[in-house]
Amino acid sequence: MSEDLQIGISREQGDKQITVMRLSGSLDANTQSELETKAKEAIDGGAEYLFLDMSGVEYLGSAGMRAIHAITNQLSPDDPGMRSDRLKVLNPSPAAGKVFKTLGFDSFIDIHDNVDEAVAAL
Amino acid sequence: MSTRLLPRFKADLGELSRIRDYVTKTATGLGVVPTALDGLRVAVDEAVTNIIVHGYGGPGEITLELSAERGDLVVRLCDKAPAFDSANEAPDELNPDDSRTRPGGFGLYLMKQAMDDITHRPLHPGNELTMIKRNVVDVG
Repeated sequence: MSEDLQIGISREQGDKQITVMRLSGSLDANTQSELETKAKEAIDGGAEYLFLDMSGVEYLGSAGMRAIHAITNQLSPDDPGMRSDRLKVLNPSPAAGKVFKTLGFDSFIDIHDNVDEAVAAL
Repeated sequence: MSTRLLPRFKADLGELSRIRDYVTKTATGLGVVPTALDGLRVAVDEAVTNIIVHGYGGPGEITLELSAERGDLVVRLCDKAPAFDSANEAPDELNPDDSRTRPGGFGLYLMKQAMDDITHRPLHPGNELTMIKRNVVDVG
């Protein structure tokens, strides 16, 4: 695993299968596959919903956004490319939030301040 | 006749983090205002990624030069990869529907949004990509 990206994984208690992935470091072309691999493991392991906590992401580039797009499609394989309520982004850092907005991802991926708020929106 | 030694980096995705750190440190030293640093890092990271992935596709070397010219920050990237004109490939606009259904061109679009001017010059062999961000160097 690269030292550039750290991924902490936990599961929320409740009637929905929610996995929270806490990302810190850089999400770029060198690390995007790590996120995709971990997300696939979670989805294959039964996660219905993925929350990406991006408060610790110091750098987010287009490769990271492609990874997020790919995860969205994995969560909703019957609706590739469509809006997915199964992926939520939590508390992105200012740099990450700016990239989200510039590429228009904020129009089809919900961004919340914390886990409780995202759970309440399901 | 003098010869300038420019910083050289391996064309390897594992170098991206080090290159972004170099950009931050050098731009700060040149007097670039802090609010411009995020965009600058994004533009250089995306340009270097393009050179590595679409240019070389294998081993290679990239030189990276940052300079301050009358309040503007000038970034010059040179490689010896086959010609690749990212400056003209970059889309002017990105429709959110395109982002949702057809992910592509994100990196070039981010470069164009972050910088004021991007030009490509073939070097035979190789490429020179010059990116300018205007009025971000504190000359006071």
